[in-house]
Amino acid sequence: MTNSPPPRKDDDWIDSVLDDLARADLPDASDDLMARVMGDAQAMLPPPGGRVTQAPWWRQVVDGIGGWAAVGGLAAAAATGFVVGLGGLETVGVTTPWSVSYETYYDSPGTLDAFGWDMEEG
Amino acid sequence: MPLDTDPHTDDADLLAAYARGDAGAARLLTVRLTPRAFGQAVRMLGDAGEAEDVAQEAMMRLWRVAPDWRAGEARVTTWLYRVVSNLCTDRLRKRPRRSLPLDEVAEPEDPTPSVEARMQADARMAALRDALAALPERQRIAVTMRHFDGASNPEIAAALDVSTEAVESLTARGKRALAAALQGQVAALGLEEG
Repeated sequence: MTNSPPPRKDDDWIDSVLDDLARADLPDASDDLMARVMGDAQAMLPPPGGRVTQAPWWRQVVDGIGGWAAVGGLAAAAATGFVVGLGGLETVGVTTPWSVSYETYYDSPGTLDAFGWDMEEG
Repeated sequence: MPLDTDPHTDDADLLAAYARGDAGAARLLTVRLTPRAFGQAVRMLGDAGEAEDVAQEAMMRLWRVAPDWRAGEARVTTWLYRVVSNLCTDRLRKRPRRSLPLDEVAEPEDPTPSVEARMQADARMAALRDALAALPERQRIAVTMRHFDGASNPEIAAALDVSTEAVESLTARGKRALAAALQGQVAALGLEEG
């Protein structure tokens, strides 16, 4: 039976292997590579002054309306109109379900008769 | 002063100049960054031909992103480092896995110690590259920046946009994962103590 040496701590031998790879000689970038990269750069070079990039559709809409301030005003006006519209419903006799609170419904006369109380309270 | 006569011009400024159509900025960025990208790729891939393709592709992505580059969000070199690292990892993961035990490697005609040692060193580097490619991106970048580029913890933290404490953790976890990946090949790769 042979006595194998105890393994080194992870950090020791991994550091050693990583250092070996770090010390390996690196070749210089070839002239051919530099020429290829330069060729790509020239081919993709934007026109003088820069490329005009098309804005996304939502920004075009915002800009068309008049900017973020205009969008804010529009949203506020829409919200106000909605609230005013809800208030107007009562004047034409429409009772909206969400305008009746739980207590209002529960305590309103005629909602529960004696049988109803019996059922509720046992 | 023209950009290409000023060696201190920031890479981001050069990229902005490139985006405005400045050919001089293209030339200077090519000279500055291509050798770095190529060196990193050679180290990760161990193959100069493939490394050239990776460096060219990474630089191509840089030219493409230039008009949309947001100054101050990331350093150009850090961005390029990540791109090269990920391109290399993609290639390494697509490579067929090597059979590393040296018993399975064809014996050379003249098995002198230097030939065997070289084969073992090559196998060790190949195994390490495969293990690095298997690491999650942030662990891989933390380990390679630390060991291959001598980057400090704050530099790595800035590159990865994490705290310095997180860098310690990423590096430690990365090296533990590398150790686990190579553990079964310790003997074959000549990694025993002694």
